[in-house]
Amino acid sequence: MSSLQQYLDLYAAQGETLCGASCGAMNAAREAALAGLQQHGLPTSRNERYKYTDVEAALAPDYGLNLRRTLPAVDPYKEYRCAVPHLSTSLYFVVNDVPYTVQTPTAPLPEGVLVQPLSQADPALVAAYYNREAGRKYDGVTALNTLLAQDGLLVYLPAGTVLSNPIQIVNVAAARADLMVNRRLLIVAEEGAQGVILLCEHADGQSRTLATQVTEIFVGEGANIQVNAVEETTEQHTALDNVYVHQAAASHVSYNGVTLTCGQTRHRLDFRLDGKGADMVARGVVVADGQQRVDNSLVVDHAAPSCTSDMLYKYVLDGHSVGAFAGLVLVEKGAQKSLSQQTNANICAAPTARAFSQPMLEIYADDVKCNHGSTIGKLDESALFYMRQRGIPEREARLILQQAFVGDVLRHIELERLRERLAHLVEMRFRGELSACAGCKMCR
Amino acid sequence: MLEIRNLHASVEGKEILRGVNLTIGDGEVHVLMGPNGSGKSTLSHVLVGNPKYEVTEGSITFNGKDLLSLSPEDRAHEGIFMSFQAPIEIPGVSMTNFMRAALNAKRKYFGQEPIGAGEFLKLLKEKRQLVGLDAHFMSRGVNEGFSGGERKRNEIFQMAVLQPLFSILDETDSGLDVDALRIVAEGFNMLRTPQTSAMVITHYQRMLDYLKPDFVHVLVKGRVVKEGDASLGYAIEERGFDWIREEVEE
Repeated sequence: MSSLQQYLDLYAAQGETLCGASCGAMNAAREAALAGLQQHGLPTSRNERYKYTDVEAALAPDYGLNLRRTLPAVDPYKEYRCAVPHLSTSLYFVVNDVPYTVQTPTAPLPEGVLVQPLSQADPALVAAYYNREAGRKYDGVTALNTLLAQDGLLVYLPAGTVLSNPIQIVNVAAARADLMVNRRLLIVAEEGAQGVILLCEHADGQSRTLATQVTEIFVGEGANIQVNAVEETTEQHTALDNVYVHQAAASHVSYNGVTLTCGQTRHRLDFRLDGKGADMVARGVVVADGQQRVDNSLVVDHAAPSCTSDMLYKYVLDGHSVGAFAGLVLVEKGAQKSLSQQTNANICAAPTARAFSQPMLEIYADDVKCNHGSTIGKLDESALFYMRQRGIPEREARLILQQAFVGDVLRHIELERLRERLAHLVEMRFRGELSACAGCKMCR
Repeated sequence: MLEIRNLHASVEGKEILRGVNLTIGDGEVHVLMGPNGSGKSTLSHVLVGNPKYEVTEGSITFNGKDLLSLSPEDRAHEGIFMSFQAPIEIPGVSMTNFMRAALNAKRKYFGQEPIGAGEFLKLLKEKRQLVGLDAHFMSRGVNEGFSGGERKRNEIFQMAVLQPLFSILDETDSGLDVDALRIVAEGFNMLRTPQTSAMVITHYQRMLDYLKPDFVHVLVKGRVVKEGDASLGYAIEERGFDWIREEVEE
């Protein structure tokens, strides 16, 4: 029996319960997802975008679903510490796949801004956006998520609103038995809206957890959205994370993804620059060791003229870890004056660590400027020796060089407090003082 | 201070040093000369413990300690400093952080507390001025975007901050214009004390003029073949190395 079959069987048996907890838009999308899964199944390694992540194996364990929609008996606001010092955020929790609504955050939201469970949000608003971008092309993981997801969060920024504080969403996977969680996140920023969103991913590591998450981000004309996603989970956690971003004309999106600790992680990031002058930046830092696997697969679709894209991903891989990066910049016919820059650099700190890097360009317009490059190597031995000659111990010298390597990505993070916090966490990670999700009581 | 006995060393399996003997006393400045490929830089790198070079025979004693048994960082703490012929660029590591890490590692080695922020900044400023490096270099990455001359000044600046007992200047004068050479040489002279010594590799008379070395050694094919005072250096400047080679062959 394939891994998929057990979830199809589960859906056949429990579909009604599952639909009972969800909103109309989510239920309406299930039929097509089911048909897709029956026809195409899960992605295999023959699929270029899943070459380094074995989805079949990831889904093989007999994970349970949280059909009863129970929450662990803890108050995340009290038990959980995922704070960035001196940074005030509007803080929301999603425990497993249940949005935590017992309490509201301390920092109030500006007028008109909504952060709500999809199940409680305006059905017309959800229906207008839900699965619109994610459902455009078939992806087995997205289809499975669409079939099984019961709830999620809506973040809505009406036209012209400016968030004074970042919205912080903390996802926690905490379970006593093997659990699969299927989350949705829908971010809608209308024309001219501006805001920073902070996404934190945690897992308690008590048992095996698998999270599929589909995030859709709709960025209206002239809107400016920053997303900072920080992953601090455990070796017991698998993340299959698909992010779809749709950008209208003159919009700006910057997406910073930092993987500090994890088990196995795959991020799919699809950006569609669908209006003249849209601009996106995606940056990533990956620190992995042990048996960890991290796979970032990006596609940036220049569908309109005069758009710019900029990608910078840096990996430091130690132990037996595996890091993969694939980036495709697609410049469609008519997308003249496209500007694109794509860089992936990897350091294998141990000979047993492996890095795979595949930057790609596909260009159907003739007046464009696109650069791409990638490197895989060791730490610079001559720099290491230079530092040791000045008396800096080898271990410390390695640490400083690794930090400088990823610091080149982190220095671009616009939010100063977050930038400092991440630099600190990365340093702790390199020092071995951040083995897994050390941030909160719940995870300990 | 330093005693090198019958030193043999190779790099990538090729023997470069073939029995070097050299003694350097406290407070002395020695100049090492020799044709290209004679082993001057190899000797420098062996002294500071570069792992690319393999010592196959011989011994080095530094202030009574077996130098070859020490790691590069411990050799640095014991007081050995090398001004690199080609200083390395380390993007993303600021000069300030680099110097703080180096200084505090040394202090830790001697059981001292890390240096206070105020004291550290004062020290950097004082030493910067010695070699004429502007303040903005301190916030830049180590040697990142420095010109050739700035890199060499930066080496002497680091030497001034770390206050080594024994300094190796590996062609610190190369690539410097006359003014920069004077600043570097004067900076070096100001750092001299009766307790500190140096081994200077140079091809230029001007450096001899400034440093007034106590001894000059000539290295040919991995051996010290001729020794003398500063006048030997001037003789080489005038006549080249061939007459020494001929003498050796006789």
